[in-house]
Amino acid sequence: MGNGGTLEQAKQIEEMMLGELAWLWPVGVLTVGAVGAVVLAMVLPRRRQGLIAAWAASAHLAAAGLAVYVWLDRGFAVIMSGTIAVDGLALTLTALIGVAGALCVALARPVIAGSDREGEFYATLTFASLAAVMLGMAADAALLGLAIGALGLATFVMTGYLRRSGRANEASIKYYIFGTVSGATMLYGLSWWFGLAGTTDLRLIGETLADAPAAVVIASTALVLVGLGYKAAAVPFHFWTPDAYDGAPLPVAAYLSVLPKLAGLVALARVLPMALPDDTAGWTTAIAVLAAATMTLGNIAALPQRNVVRLLAYSSIAQSGYLLMGVAALEASDQGLPALVYYAIAYAAMNLAAFAVVLAVQRERRSVDLDAFRGLGRAHPWWTAVLIVAFLSLLGLPPLAGFVGKLELFTAAIDADQAWLAVVAVVNTVISLYYYLRVIAPTVLDGPAQAQAREVERPRAAATPLALVLGVTAVATVAFGIAAEPVLSLAERATMLIG
Amino acid sequence: MPWLSIAIAVPLVGAALAAVLPGRPTRLPFALALGATAISAVALVVTAFRFDPGQGMQLVEQATWIESLDVAWRVGVDGMALVLALLTVVLFIAAVAYGVGPRPMTRAAAGLLLLLEGSTLAFFLAEDFFLFYIAFDVTLVAMYFLIALWGEANRRYAALKFFLYTLIGSLPVLLGIIALFLSSEPQTFDMIRLASEQPIAGAGLGASLVFLAFFVGFAIKTPIVPFHTWLPAAHVEAPTVGSVLLAGVLLKMGTYGLVRVNLQMLPEAFAEYALPVALLGLVSVLYGALVALAQSDLKRLIAYTSVNHMGYVVIGVAAAAATGISAEARELAIDGAVLQMVAHGLVTATLFFVAGFIKERAGTRDLGRLGGLFRPMPWYGTLVALAFFASLGLPGLAQFPAELEIFLGAFDVWPALAAVTVVGIVITAALFLLALQRAFMGETPEPLRGLRDLSRREVIAIGPLVVLFVVLGLYPALALDLIDSASWLVGG
Repeated sequence: MGNGGTLEQAKQIEEMMLGELAWLWPVGVLTVGAVGAVVLAMVLPRRRQGLIAAWAASAHLAAAGLAVYVWLDRGFAVIMSGTIAVDGLALTLTALIGVAGALCVALARPVIAGSDREGEFYATLTFASLAAVMLGMAADAALLGLAIGALGLATFVMTGYLRRSGRANEASIKYYIFGTVSGATMLYGLSWWFGLAGTTDLRLIGETLADAPAAVVIASTALVLVGLGYKAAAVPFHFWTPDAYDGAPLPVAAYLSVLPKLAGLVALARVLPMALPDDTAGWTTAIAVLAAATMTLGNIAALPQRNVVRLLAYSSIAQSGYLLMGVAALEASDQGLPALVYYAIAYAAMNLAAFAVVLAVQRERRSVDLDAFRGLGRAHPWWTAVLIVAFLSLLGLPPLAGFVGKLELFTAAIDADQAWLAVVAVVNTVISLYYYLRVIAPTVLDGPAQAQAREVERPRAAATPLALVLGVTAVATVAFGIAAEPVLSLAERATMLIG
Repeated sequence: MPWLSIAIAVPLVGAALAAVLPGRPTRLPFALALGATAISAVALVVTAFRFDPGQGMQLVEQATWIESLDVAWRVGVDGMALVLALLTVVLFIAAVAYGVGPRPMTRAAAGLLLLLEGSTLAFFLAEDFFLFYIAFDVTLVAMYFLIALWGEANRRYAALKFFLYTLIGSLPVLLGIIALFLSSEPQTFDMIRLASEQPIAGAGLGASLVFLAFFVGFAIKTPIVPFHTWLPAAHVEAPTVGSVLLAGVLLKMGTYGLVRVNLQMLPEAFAEYALPVALLGLVSVLYGALVALAQSDLKRLIAYTSVNHMGYVVIGVAAAAATGISAEARELAIDGAVLQMVAHGLVTATLFFVAGFIKERAGTRDLGRLGGLFRPMPWYGTLVALAFFASLGLPGLAQFPAELEIFLGAFDVWPALAAVTVVGIVITAALFLLALQRAFMGETPEPLRGLRDLSRREVIAIGPLVVLFVVLGLYPALALDLIDSASWLVGG
């Protein structure tokens, strides 16, 4: 009806929307968490800013808990006149963002404790998580654009948090320029969709695009892909990744490698089937090719890296490629979405574990060069155990979570008649062995380097959260593999409501 | 009692316990490794007594694991699995007794040996593809660290090469498993069901690709020429116990998989490609023997004879898969192949042990620099001679009946191929006799005169192996009665 409705109708709609707010509890608590953090940052003295970390982490965990509550109590629904999809996929992502976000706050606390604007950092991080949650729920082009923009802005601020570091500035500028350009490109693409369909509702856009001229559909979709591909760090929109990870504080790199990436992939998994139903314009093949290119390029570029953060950056690009296999299999196989969801959960656990160990090493040895990992096994057997578990899981070795994830993704690909993509992924797995093993080997096989013979005195302050993250992520990486059933059945149920 | 699960679980639990033992040097890790291995061995001996030969897969133990994928803890034994599991514990007892790395055995060494043992047993006893694949890859990680930590000068390179090649082999196997899983109805990882239902029938393009995926994986592990290039590097650089377990047990995983999966689950495709597979086996037999002939490093020499001996196994399996083979010949071929796996495991393990012994004493394994060893080390020389004769297939020792059965079986389908295979035996006979002559006969060079003979520890390590390969040579029925696999494995 558009603008022509009566007052009565408007009231009805308002009533309905108020009722629908119950589905948005997780979003609400993150909003309160973010705004509250801003207020607390102004009110609390600097030495008390650590409280804000606890506040932000609690908001994240509350969002995760409320996502579970909504799932169990309310079920799934498309709300707010079809703009927001609160379904299994969105709620799983929300819970994952809640837990992973809290873990990132715990990682960040020891690093930025006592710096100026510490409280604002946690506030920004919570805003970023909020935007990531909205990105996963967006069933409307306008909301999609908004979420992408907000997420980009918040993460840009986080990347440049170390204001006095030249590298951090360079990283955040690069990230910002790439981000803004790709976001704008995506908005431009969305404007084509809006122009064709006369609406921002992705489902209605889908009905229009199915019959639109192929060239227009392909061109506009390519523009939209730029923005989402950028968030997912997919080739060819990945260039920012190594510089941003390397320049940003390590906890921020950990955050970037997990939360915005997974939100971007979930958005891809929702937007593409909605706007391009029944494989319009052959988008699944395009995504499959993108997946193959992303994993191959990421893995090959990771090979020569000696800086472990950059190595992990390229590794995370390769991992995006594996995740994209799930998106590519969405239409043809009902195993595609569960595979994507399972791997997303596994990836969050193992990648955060990897970053947590690197952070621990960086804090003690002031370096993230491969040489800094020499002799780690003797000095810190538990860190080394976590490192081996995390990297072997990223490689995809059983019985760890990464293996079950790859098993699921390969199964989905073969089931979707994309066996060639599974073969490409297998070749890539072999390539990745080289650099994952390159980090593992010196920890166990080498003695400490000369320079480290004198152990740098360990910064004790606030190291407990770090130990906590190491423990939680490593246990999850092992448990999700050996006892995969609960996570797999969750993934089976994390469905999408489309139309 | 779930004896099979105990046999697998006890070493794995032991490996976990090893991690929390005190770090200072004690005898505890050794005691833990020996104790866990002994319990495993007892559980398998009990299984052997409960086992009913000729009845195919039995004593299956099941527990739910991942229901949504129909993955379960399924372990069971048939003749082949049982004898290979028994071989595994025998060799691990020897390995633990001899030790690896610094002495007394460190907790890392105990942990890795137990991890390797548990996963190897899991592989041979698994009747679920999920467990099968996990075990396949975990052995890889454990062996990687054994080589990389305690190997010789070039160990890092050799360990990486080993990891890389075996991973290249294991991933096609994973794709093959997925293909079988997707074609089964309802979908399952249950190997017993997949073997009886054979969801991928025929020898069309799809079936051929799945066959090829499994074949490449297992061919790398076996190794079959031309997939063997990782083997010499890994063997030469590995510590003694690493070589022993690699050749004695891990290589068997390749041929075991060839039988368990390619032969049992894809028999029609295997029948189609039986001759090419047999020809690759023949190439392995000849190439392995010829290259071994040219080696002067004793370990390299033994490594290449492994290629040769595993080639016989491949020929036996391929003959059993061929169409047109008579029922008796098929039984001979498959039983001979399984017996050859066991015999080769015992003999080659002994050979790698004795190669390690001499390196430890003389500082070299180079046949050109050894000589006249009989004089200072008569016992050592006698055992080496016995092992050499066993390896070249002398009647009365374990490999003879095995190779004879394989020949007789293969002769029924491919007489010419079987005849050429005999050339391999002639070459190995020549190379072992030459090696014996160079290292043990003639004048003893000055630096070698004072070498001491076998120590108690060394006798404990290889004594049982020597006894077993002599007994199996004189009385092969001991193993063959257990194996009795033909009717179950090839449905004949």
